[in-house]
Amino acid sequence: MKYSTFSLLDNDQLKEPMFFGQSVNVARYDQQKYPIFEQLIEKQLSFFWRPEEVDVSQDRSDYRNLPDHEKHIFISNLKYQILLDSIQGRSPNVAFLPLVSLPELETWIETWSFSETIHSRSYTHIIRNIVNDPAVVFDDIMRNQHIIERATDISKYYDDLIQYTLLYTKLGAGTHTVNGKTHQVNLFELKRKLYLCMMSVNVLEAIRFYVSFACSFAFAERRLMEGNAKIIRLIARDEALHLVATQHIINIMQEGKDDPEMAEVARSCHAESIKMFKHAAQQEKEWAKYLFKDGSMIGLNNVILDQYIEYITNHRMRAVGLEPAFEKATHNPIPWINAWTSSDNVQVAPQEVEVSSYLVGQINSEISADDLGDFEL
Amino acid sequence: MKKAIQISTEDLVFQLDPSETLLEGLERTGHQVEYQCRSGYCGSCRVTLHSGRVEYQEQPLAYLQENEILPCCCRPLEPLEVSVGLITKAKKSA
Repeated sequence: MKYSTFSLLDNDQLKEPMFFGQSVNVARYDQQKYPIFEQLIEKQLSFFWRPEEVDVSQDRSDYRNLPDHEKHIFISNLKYQILLDSIQGRSPNVAFLPLVSLPELETWIETWSFSETIHSRSYTHIIRNIVNDPAVVFDDIMRNQHIIERATDISKYYDDLIQYTLLYTKLGAGTHTVNGKTHQVNLFELKRKLYLCMMSVNVLEAIRFYVSFACSFAFAERRLMEGNAKIIRLIARDEALHLVATQHIINIMQEGKDDPEMAEVARSCHAESIKMFKHAAQQEKEWAKYLFKDGSMIGLNNVILDQYIEYITNHRMRAVGLEPAFEKATHNPIPWINAWTSSDNVQVAPQEVEVSSYLVGQINSEISADDLGDFEL
Repeated sequence: MKKAIQISTEDLVFQLDPSETLLEGLERTGHQVEYQCRSGYCGSCRVTLHSGRVEYQEQPLAYLQENEILPCCCRPLEPLEVSVGLITKAKKSA
C-alpha cells in the first residue's frame, strides 16, 4: 500500500474496500459503492451556514449580567467546544485521507472536516462579541489542565494511526528500528488503529459534543445567550450527520462484507471499544464537576449532567453494536435538549424567536407517476 | 381514506392516527423515545421492531439494523409491535 495522489493503475473503484485499497484516482460520483456517503455529502452541503448570519449581539449584555460561576460554566464550555472542533477540523483529513480508497467516502471526509472548520470560526464570532479581548479565552485553552487532559485522550488515537500509517507506507510490514526504537508493523495492526480511531471519533461526536450542547442549551432555556444557542443548534445539526456517518463506517466495518479482515479487527477491538466509551463517560463526569465547581445553574447541575452522560452513552453504544454500559440510566433527565437539537423546519422550541436557518438546494427533482395520483382537472 | 393502525409497545396498545407519524404517536402516548432531527438522518429515535412492516417514502440516511425502524419517518403498513416503554416506567427504574 503506497499512497499516491493520483494512482495511475486503472481500477474498478466499485471493487475497492472503504480503506486500504488502491488510492483514489478519478473523483467520480456517477457510480458509488456506498451511495450513503454521497447522500451525506448532499445533506451536509444543504446544511451550509455562515457564523456571521447569526446575530449574537444580545449575548453581550446577557453575558455581562451572568453571575461569576455561570460565566465560568459558559466560557469553560465554549473552550471545550473550541478544542473539540480544532481537532475535528483537521484530523479526519490527515488521518483518513491517505487510507481511503472510495471517491464518495474520500469526499465525505473532506466535506465533514470542512464543516468542522465552520464551527471553529463560529466560536471566534461568539467570543469576539462577548469579551473585549478574545485572546483571554483562546490563550487559556492551552494552559487549562482540565481541557488539556481530555485533549490528549481525544487526539492520541488519531496520532497513533497517523504515526503507524507513516511507518507502514514507508517501510512496509516487518520489524523496523527507527531512531533506536523498534516497531512491529503489520496491516492487521494498522487496521486495528483505524478502527479504534473511528470509534474514538464516534465517542467524541456521540457523547462529548452532546455534553457541551446540554450546557449551551441550558442557558437558552432561560432565554440567556440565545445567539450562542442558535449557533450551537446549527452545529448540533451538522454533528448529528457526522455521527451517523461514523456509525455507518463502523457498522460496515463490523459486517465484514466490505473487507472480511475488518470484521475480525472489529471483534478484536470489542472490549477496548467498550472501555473507550466508559472512559469518555467518566472523563465527562469529571468535567461536569469542574464546570459546576463554584455552583450550579437553574436547570442543570452536576448530578443531572452525570445522568445525561450515562443515558447518552448507553444510547450511542447501542448504535454501534455495543452493550450499554450503564444499566440504570434508562431515561433522559433533560428531555428539553431534544427540542433544541431538532431540525428547525419544525419550530418545536417555543422560545425560538426566529427560524435559525433555512435549507438551500433541498428540492427533490425526481417525480413519479404516483405523485400525480391525487391531481384532478 | 387511510385507517388508524394498531401499535403495541412494551406497556400499552394504542391506535396510530393516519395524520401523525409513529414518533408523534409514541410521544402523545407518553413513551420514552429519543429524537433529534425528526427527518430520518440522525437515527436518534431508532427502535426495535418485533412484528409488522413499515415503508419509507425516502430511504433514511441513518444506519439501521435489520430489525430497527425510524419512528420519525417510517409509514406503518400493518399493526406493529415495537420495543419502547413508557416514560413513567423508565423514571421509576432509574
